[in-house]
This record gives sequence, structure tokens and C-alpha cells, in this order.
Amino acid sequence: MGALEILKDRAKQLLTAGEVKMVIGYGRGSTADRRRAIFISDEAQADKLVLDKSCEDNLAGYLVREGLLQDGKKVAIFLSPAGIRSVNVLAAEDQLNPDQVVILGFEIKGDQVSALDGHHVNGFIELVGQIKKQGLSKDREELIAKLEKMTPPERFEFWRAQFSKCLKCYACRQGCPMCYCRRCIVDRNQPQWINTSPHSMGNFEWNIVRAFHLAGRCVGCGNCERACPVGIPLMLLNQQMAAEVLSAFDHFAGMNSTQEPVLASFKREDPDTFIL
Amino acid sequence: MAKILAKNKLNDVIAKLKSAGIDLFGPVRDDKHSWYGPVEEAGQLALDLILTDRTLKELFFPQTEPLLKFEIKKQQVDMQEMSPPNRQRVIFAVRPCDAAGIAIDDALFGWDYKDSYWFKRRNDSTIVSIACTAADEFCLCTSLKLSPDSTKGSDILLWPTKDGKGWRVEEITDKGKEFLGRINELLEDSEDQTAAVANVPVKFDLDKVVAWLAEPANFDSSFWREISRRCIGCGACTFLCPTCHCFDIQDEGNTYHGVRQKNWDSCSFAMFTMHTSGHNPRPTQMSRWRQRIMHKFNYYPGKFQANSCSGCGRCTRQCPVDMGIVETLREISKSV
Amino acid sequence: MTAEGNEHIYKPAMMRIAAMRDEAPQVRTLRLEFVDAADHEQFKKNYRTGMFGLYGVFGEGESTFCVASPETRKDYIECTFRETGRVTSTLANCDVGDMISFRGPYGNRFPLEDFEGKNIVFVAGGIALPPTRSVIWSCLDQRDKFKKITIVYGARTVADLVYKQELEEWSKRGDVELVQTVDPGGETPDWKYKIGFVPTVLEQTAPSSDNAVAVMCGPPIMIKFTLVSLNKLGFKPENVYTTLENRMKCGLGKCGRCNVGSVYVCKEGPVFTAAQIAKMPAGDM
Repeated sequence: MGALEILKDRAKQLLTAGEVKMVIGYGRGSTADRRRAIFISDEAQADKLVLDKSCEDNLAGYLVREGLLQDGKKVAIFLSPAGIRSVNVLAAEDQLNPDQVVILGFEIKGDQVSALDGHHVNGFIELVGQIKKQGLSKDREELIAKLEKMTPPERFEFWRAQFSKCLKCYACRQGCPMCYCRRCIVDRNQPQWINTSPHSMGNFEWNIVRAFHLAGRCVGCGNCERACPVGIPLMLLNQQMAAEVLSAFDHFAGMNSTQEPVLASFKREDPDTFIL
Repeated sequence: MAKILAKNKLNDVIAKLKSAGIDLFGPVRDDKHSWYGPVEEAGQLALDLILTDRTLKELFFPQTEPLLKFEIKKQQVDMQEMSPPNRQRVIFAVRPCDAAGIAIDDALFGWDYKDSYWFKRRNDSTIVSIACTAADEFCLCTSLKLSPDSTKGSDILLWPTKDGKGWRVEEITDKGKEFLGRINELLEDSEDQTAAVANVPVKFDLDKVVAWLAEPANFDSSFWREISRRCIGCGACTFLCPTCHCFDIQDEGNTYHGVRQKNWDSCSFAMFTMHTSGHNPRPTQMSRWRQRIMHKFNYYPGKFQANSCSGCGRCTRQCPVDMGIVETLREISKSV
Repeated sequence: MTAEGNEHIYKPAMMRIAAMRDEAPQVRTLRLEFVDAADHEQFKKNYRTGMFGLYGVFGEGESTFCVASPETRKDYIECTFRETGRVTSTLANCDVGDMISFRGPYGNRFPLEDFEGKNIVFVAGGIALPPTRSVIWSCLDQRDKFKKITIVYGARTVADLVYKQELEEWSKRGDVELVQTVDPGGETPDWKYKIGFVPTVLEQTAPSSDNAVAVMCGPPIMIKFTLVSLNKLGFKPENVYTTLENRMKCGLGKCGRCNVGSVYVCKEGPVFTAAQIAKMPAGDM
């Protein structure tokens, strides 16, 4: 059976048995190659579910939007490994109870999609461990190497040019499962920490602060970069942050549901090269 | 006999305008993205795009602009108004949906209080549109009772010739006439046929949609929640829409000096209507999606006799989660 | 003015703080005077009671409040606000002599000419007395145009009552019936007036709805119950006036923020009759 059939069957069973109040999955989008999030609450609708290599978006963010899990009931959700790691981070940061999340796991490798065994985040610890061992994505190695060779002023100019396109639409923030703050720092005005204006200064502040707030939390799902309507290579920033965090603290986001956030914990062995 | 502007004359056009102190703007691109920007040389124009990613409105209503600047002293503030720069421009190769969007917004920016930031730029600009010979699956101008060759908002409309070497020129307004007067010697007479205009199938019955939205009982329909479930509440659709015009006014600076900026804002944002008391009249994404649709197809036409939409399709093209207005309007239209 | 003769519609008038008064905990009144005579003339020409303005602190932003002074006294502007956010906190820290900005007056007005020859019942709660007070003084300053004037005003506690000096004044005048109340538990040992929620006290006072209009302002919950009480007393919704508030930024119909359904509070309000409000979608309030 294909991955879709396996997971669709599981979804139907969960709904029929009343074990979950809803299944969040992928449905056909407005064009042939688009996929969109769908929210299914009875098994008759389950045939709307699709699953293929175009199902790239990380749906985990919906678990913490508009109090979905506040009623204590369970929700089943189609998640790739990045999505599963997201649930771990959200659980570790007390944003959801992982027992309420039934995972319909899948993995996209090239053109193929395979279903994953396991239904609770705890069942994927080994998988995430393997992913950590594989190291960070090799995407854009060339561009990263080019950036690393740049002098700080050159690198600044590269990012200034990129951020000049930013519209402050916050699609990156809204699409990110880890950006769950009810009141984002940019929306706080006593004091106004970050300029809201989409001019150069405001854009720099926003994008850099967001990258910092994601340090050690970003799971590399790519929602932000896919969402960005002006094509800013946001994942480049986040990937580099993740690489820094991994090398400095051996921290890989979303290993399990009790992992301490890297910026909120301290180990004796942490490098202290910044302390004179 | 028609007047034709040949593509190979564009650099001459640019030079003629420059000598009169007029800049040329048009669709430009980089490897990822396209917008309307300043053009020094005809080769910079991205004439093969169906339409740019960003809209024409940012040339009239910038993403951020200063309204005033001020110096703060003890019990004294020196304030200075800021105005848009003096910049005469011809905006070339505009899409009819973008031009229509500007015309639609004139009503709002001129409602009782005239927004001089908008109208100064309007006065300083001549809009030269090119009728569309190609469309994609997201275009919906015809559903809004516009068309790929609509003249709404344009000073000149250009019709691509069949041989692709230029455009037949159609004068629409006095401003257009003035522009043609400047470049008259660069135009040729020709019997050339123009290419066929793009076929944009109508996607929904606008009248049915408007009637459904006008029904007070439908304001509380469960339809709104169902159709907006996956909306994540970003501002992409708003900022890429030719007619969306909501803005914020923000003070920036330090203890001694600062600026008051007018910035784009979006009714999709959760904080848009948040009161300081903590009460939010639109606390759910559903209520904000409903506001978007109602404003565009009920409130705006109620005041200004025009829907706040020109059917460019960018909202659907760019939405990170495949929202956009088409599906909502189509579902409403089907249900009536 | 711009070169084309357009007004800079976002340009504020400069105001100097001439006086201030603390009304209640975190509630302050400022009396402002125009720095520029031309701005003052514009205000005198345009201001009618009910209209509002945007009061700004350069560097912090603008905040929207009604003009609390009446249309019969236009030498200055008075505004009363509670310290709740960025701009109001800074305003609350200003000194006499400081310069702030004012944009306005915007919005619509109470149609006082429709109140002439009628009885007027004013009902207000807490921090919502300011807009009502503007109308009250506009009427008291032209007292013989109107018939019986009744004011029912209450707050949570005695300390929360605003315009305490003016309440004294009104209670001493012979031509106004003032009924003051505090919520049960909000009274002090020397409180000599009523104890009870405003809608309840209104019903006890039972002003006649014959040839009468009502002007009421208050928090949403008070409005809701007061409308019920006014209805019981026979007031028709077309004769009940109130003000709506919403978050505002431009104040002049452009920024798209303050609409309740199709109604722009800054342009078609803030003064509405209860009949008009009944037609607005409750789900957008």
C-alpha cells in the first residue's frame, strides 16, 4: 500500500473511533501542483486527503493556532520529520501536550513518499537522532561557502540588498510553527523594541531578530522561505544559525519533547570564549 | 492607419523623456522577483512577464513614507511636513489590472480629505498600459467585469502587434495626449494588426456574490469559518494587492528627533483592530478574512461604486497557504 | 499646503498644555491651547460637540479621544484620558507648558438642534463621562433652549468618578437633576448619594421618555444594559444617542481600521443613535 493509503486508513480509523476530533492533512490546491492544509472532522471527508512530493509545508503550526488543543481533545496530523521535530520543540516549550497529537508521519525522498511507523512524538526519537547524525542540509552549499568567504561589510551588503525587498508582511512569522507568541516582539510598543516600518533599518531589525529568536529552535522546514512573497533566502540565515548552535552547543532542535531550549539552558561545558 | 510605437524606439523614448526631466518606470526583475521600478535603459524592462509580483500601487503609496519630522526640545517641538519628491514620471508597460487598481483607490484617497501624498504622485505620473495577450490560471479580471484590454486608470493603452515588434498606440486621456505629443516623431504609421487579447475565463458570478454579501444574515454564516481555516493571517495578499490601502501611522526616533511614518498595514493581522483595553473586535482569523471580503465587495462599493479588486490574481498566486479571494468568491457564487 | 494647494491632512496643530487636573487614579484632564492662530480659527469654525481628535506626543504616536470641552467654549481644547498604553502613559507624564499635537476635529456631531425644546437624559459610566460632559456643558451653556435635564452618572468607586468638581457644580445648580451613584461596594463612609449600577439607578430615577432624548456613553456592558433600561422607560432607539469607539490611526477615513461593518466610525460616527447601532453587525464590534 502506498503511503497515502496507509495514512488515510489510519486517519479514517481515528475519526470513526472518535479518538481524534480532527485530522489535519493535505488536500488538492487551486492548481494541479498545489497542495493546501485541510481540516477533516469526519471520515467521509478523508478521501480529500492527498500525499505526494508536493506536500512540502509543515502543518505543525496549526496545532498552536487559535487554541485548537485547548479542549483537551486529540488531533491527528500529517507530519514529515521536520514537522515531528516542530511538535517536540512546541512540547518542550509548553505550547502543547504531545499526548494530544497523533502523528501520521511521512517522509519525502525525491519523488517518493513513504509512511513512517509511530504515532506519538516519543516514537520518533531514533529517527530524529539519525537525522541529526546526517548533518545539516547540503542545500546551497555553494552559496553558503561564498557568503563565508565574504568580509563582514560584503556580507552586510548582501543581506541589506535582500532585506530591502522585505515588505513586513510577516508571512515568514505566520507560517512558522515556532512563532507562536500571542504578541510578537514587533507588536510590542512599550517600548517599541523593533521598528515596524519596512525601511532598511526596520527590515534588518525584524529579520535578524527573528533569526535570533529561532536559534536552536528552527527545524529547517522551509515554510518561511516558501511563504516569503519577495524571495528572500530566509533559510540561509536560519541554516547558518542552526549550524552555529550545533557546533557551539551540540544542540539540534526538536530531538524530543523535553529537550531544554538552547538559549534558556546552561551546561558547564558551554564555550565561554566571549567572557574575557 | 494606426500609430505604432516600435520596441526598438524605446531607448529614444527614454532619452526624450529624460531631456524633459521625466523618468521612466516599468516592470523590472531580478532572478526571483519582479516589480515596477526605475528604468534607465530599455533592456531593463521585463516585457515578457504576465504581470509583476509586486503592484503599481507602491509607486503612489509607498510601503513606508515620512509624513513629518520633528526636533524635540524642552517644551518645544519643531515640526516639518515631509512631502513626496518632485518626480515627473511615465510608467510604462503597466498591466490593465494594475492601472485599474490605481483608479479604484482614487476614490478612497480623495474621500473628503485629499491625501496629498497620493495625489501629488498621481499628478506627476502618466500611466501607459499594455493590453495582455497572455494570462495564467490565476488571472480573473473578467470576473470583476474588467478585461485584459481595460482602459480604466490608463492614460495610454498599447496593443501588442502581431509581429511582436511594437504596439499600436491608443490615447485615452489628456495626459496620454501630452505624452504622445512628446514622442510623436518616434511613432510610425502602420496597418499592422494587433495580436489577440488574452482569453480570461470568468470564474464566478460577481452579481451573485455581491448580493449574497449584502444580505445581513450572511455576516454570521458558518461559511466564513470553513473557507478561512487554513489562513495564517500574514499580510502577503494585502501587500500584493493593487487596491489594498490600509495603513498605520508610527512615530520613530529618539528623545531628540524623529519621524512620523505612514506604513502599510493589513486587516489580516491579529493586532490590526486591537484596543488598548485588550478588546479586539476581530479576534479570530475568520472575522478578519470576512472583513477582507466584505470590505472589498460590499463596504467599498457601497461608498465608492467600485469593488476594491481589479482581478489581478496576485493574492491567490502568492498566498503561502493557497488562499486568495477566488475560492471564497467562487464558493459564494455557487451557493446562491 | 502643498504646491498643488492640497492640505497636508496628516499635519497636526501644535498645542501647548495650559493646565492639567487629575480626575481619578490614572485619569487625567489636559487643557490645551493652540499655538497657531490659523489652526485655532479652523477649530473654532469646525468643532461641534461629539467630534473627536487625535492627540499626539511626538516620538510616541497619536491617541484618539473625544474633545471633552463643549462647542460653546472653543478658546481651548480639553481632553480626558486614562493611562493605558504608550501614548497615554507619556501624556500622563507631560508638564504644563509642554507641546503636544492635535489633529481634528473629526467625525460627526450630536445634533443639538434636534434636542431643542426637549428633555434630555444623560447617562454615563466611569471614564465615559468626558464625551457626555462635552454635550452637557454645550446644553447648560444654552440652558433655555432645552427643557428638563437629568444626569445619571456612576463609576465603580468614589475615586473613579471623574470631573468631581463639576459634579459638585451640577448638583448645586437648580436647573439640573444630577443622580450620582457608585457600584455596590464602591462607596466610602461619607458617600451621600446612590449605591447601585447605573442602569438600575436609571430605572429608579425613571425619567420620562415623553418629548425626551437620551445621551449615553459607557463601557460596552453598561451600554447594553442601559439600552434595555431606556427601552423599558419608553425611549425609542432613534432618540437614544451614544458614541462608539474603535481603534483609529488616521481619523479621517483612509487607514481602513475603524469600521464596524460598512460604517466608518471616524467618518460616519462617533455619534450614533441606538437605531443605527442595531443595524451594525454585532460580530464586528
